[in-house]
Amino acid sequence: MKAFQQNLKKLEAADTQVLGVSMDSPYANKAFADQIGVTFPLLSDWGGEVTRQYGVYVDKYKAARRVNFLIGKDGKILEEQIDRDAIDPKKIVDECERKKLNR
Amino acid sequence: MKRRGVSAVLAVWLLTAAMVCPQVRAQGKPAPAPMKLKVGDVAPDFKLQYFDGNDDKNVTLSQYRGKSNVVLAFYIFAFTGG
Repeated sequence: MKAFQQNLKKLEAADTQVLGVSMDSPYANKAFADQIGVTFPLLSDWGGEVTRQYGVYVDKYKAARRVNFLIGKDGKILEEQIDRDAIDPKKIVDECERKKLNR
Repeated sequence: MKRRGVSAVLAVWLLTAAMVCPQVRAQGKPAPAPMKLKVGDVAPDFKLQYFDGNDDKNVTLSQYRGKSNVVLAFYIFAFTGG
């Protein structure tokens, strides 16, 4: 999440809203956001309905996989980063900036 | 007689090999589980809440349609790295 925060200005400049999602409660997420200095919303998928809908629920951990989706203005998925690859969001930041230049 | 014994041993060995080999191969390559949603798919709409310090706020994916891209970053638990 910190990595997205570091790139937030670039992403916002490229018309991109960042949303974190986990299966924690809204209040745990707020405390987490404050602790690590995240200013974008951390959404609470308590119960995991959306996590399952997106196919990233891991039964073994009773939690989500680490996955980033970049969704375009048309609602279609433009990019996915999965597990280890999801830690560094550079690919998504670059994609957003490239789209902006091509507009 | 002796020949039949040899073929029996060979048959058992082959059968065992046939059962064990795919498992060994699978262990060597821990393929990540394939993704249900792929690039190009329409992202399912959702409605989720967050707490902004004062109020619970609703967020839907559809509210950004036609306005901005959305990064949806699933993470495992709060208070963990990354």
